[in-house]
Amino acid sequence: MLPFPKFSYEAPGTLDELFTLASVSGSRIVAGGTDLLPSLKHRLFQDTLLISLRRLRELRGVTIEGGALVIGANTTLRDVARDDRVAAGWPALRDACRTIATSTIQAMGTLGGNVMLDTRCLYYNQPDGWRASIGGCLKADGSVCHVAPNGAGCYAAHSADTVPALWLYGAILRFGSERGIREVALADLYGTDGRTWLGNARDEVLLAIVVPKAPAGSVVHRKLRARGAIDYGMLLTAVHRRPDGSGAAVVSALGPRPVFVEAERVEDLAAAAHKAATPMRTHAYGVGWRKHMVRVEVERALAGS
Amino acid sequence: MPTEITLRLQINGEQVRRIIPANRSLLDFIREDLRLTGSKHGCDVGDCGACTVLVDGAPQLACITLAAECEGAAIRTIEGVTDGGGLHPIQEALHRHVGAQCGYCTPGIVMAMTSLLEADPHPSDSAINEALGSNICRCTGYTKILAAVREVARPGSPS
Ligand SMILES: Cc1cc2nc3c(=O)[nH]c(=O)nc-3n(C[C@H](O)[C@H](O)[C@H](O)COP(=O)(O)OP(=O)(O)OC[C@H]3O[C@@H](n4cnc5c(N)ncnc54)[C@H](O)[C@@H]3O)c2cc1C
Ligand code: SF4
Ligand code: FES
Ligand code: FES
Repeated sequence: MLPFPKFSYEAPGTLDELFTLASVSGSRIVAGGTDLLPSLKHRLFQDTLLISLRRLRELRGVTIEGGALVIGANTTLRDVARDDRVAAGWPALRDACRTIATSTIQAMGTLGGNVMLDTRCLYYNQPDGWRASIGGCLKADGSVCHVAPNGAGCYAAHSADTVPALWLYGAILRFGSERGIREVALADLYGTDGRTWLGNARDEVLLAIVVPKAPAGSVVHRKLRARGAIDYGMLLTAVHRRPDGSGAAVVSALGPRPVFVEAERVEDLAAAAHKAATPMRTHAYGVGWRKHMVRVEVERALAGS
Repeated sequence: MPTEITLRLQINGEQVRRIIPANRSLLDFIREDLRLTGSKHGCDVGDCGACTVLVDGAPQLACITLAAECEGAAIRTIEGVTDGGGLHPIQEALHRHVGAQCGYCTPGIVMAMTSLLEADPHPSDSAINEALGSNICRCTGYTKILAAVREVARPGSPS
């Protein structure tokens, strides 16, 4: 049995209360809890106050505003995937929700939690006793990185299935805090260190994901994983084949920040992605093979576009 | 900030009210506080599905759900899968097909399949596979479980 650490719990009923609580140091939002709660059991965080979004109806549900999709941050992955408007206008987002974990976890986890998902690593997502046996690592309880001991930081992998597709759809993130509402392009949120990869301020709560009308052409999502369920991706890929013959790709699970590449000729996209990708030893699969698979996954995604 | 909360919820049709620590998991609440031990502790971190219960009809992993999050919810566990205490058609089919060996995964599988069949009484094979992907079974190799679920989903068709 893995007990939770001690924490207190609040479920605010208004956004104002939410923002006040989010400014308390040591607090953290719990949405579906499917990422946070296992991590608390593994003692990866020391938070002392969990703030639940469950009573805030305004953070749940899908609406269309001026042709854009507005998805409340606390909408479950299952509800996003089952929405006919999402399926019709942004099918790669639906497909990405449906490759996450399992159908049960999709009924619990939220799109906001996915966008804010912690970076992952073989040496980090482990029980505390396991981590203690290697002296922890830079991201938690230690002073070395076991992936790149001579490197400059933490290379833990961005692993959120929906992010490559959301990126290519031009998604905007709406954050709220006591200071007001602020919008950030999803493509600008993520940084290059696995400890500080989220660009929002600690007290900013994600309120909604705004997805503009889908661009012309087609966007396709792919996930490379060992089993057809449960597993996180070894690579997460989305491609955009544009009507003018050009293309773009976002490939993730490579490091803290997803990799974006463009090619004037879509035929050159796979080679461009392959060149830009530097898989690290964050996964239990060989880096040479994963690099090879970047090309293959982009080609496969394009074949489906 | 409260480290204890008063929790009110319905469990298998019965209203309960308890004061619990804020960090109680739904699984520990069900097993330790209510002594309903049918839901199993497997991995305890969301990987295996042995702890699956229904919260307002949707499958949830009780080991990674805070009991506090279930305020006002209606929860069904394996103990309440049928009203009268008889076997659910899924349980009968699992029994006929020998879809349970050690049985540790079985309560979670019955709950996940109950939720699937309540939403769609005649799911396709791919929908069954997708739903069963939520639950790990180390004994059966899944084929007998699949045969049992298919039989309930499409009575009379070869499995
Ligand atoms: C067995 C298993 C397999 C999994 N496989 C995958 C997978 O393949 N791909 C994948 O992408 N994910 C996977 N997940 C992780 C998870 O289920 C999803 O990423 C899910 O979308 C997370 O959402 P949540 O609501 O549960 O997040 P939570 O766990 O509630 O939160 C995650 C993080 O985001 C923060 N957060 C949540 N909402 C907000 C908000 N509105 N504002 C600010 N911060 C917020 C939390 O504080 C926390 O740090 C898996 C989980 C498990 C248990
Ligand atoms: S990349 Fe290095 S520092 Fe980051 S989680 Fe992995 S081992 Fe730790
Ligand atoms: S015990 Fe809950 S998923 Fe394994
Ligand atoms: S019957 Fe033993 S784990 Fe499924």
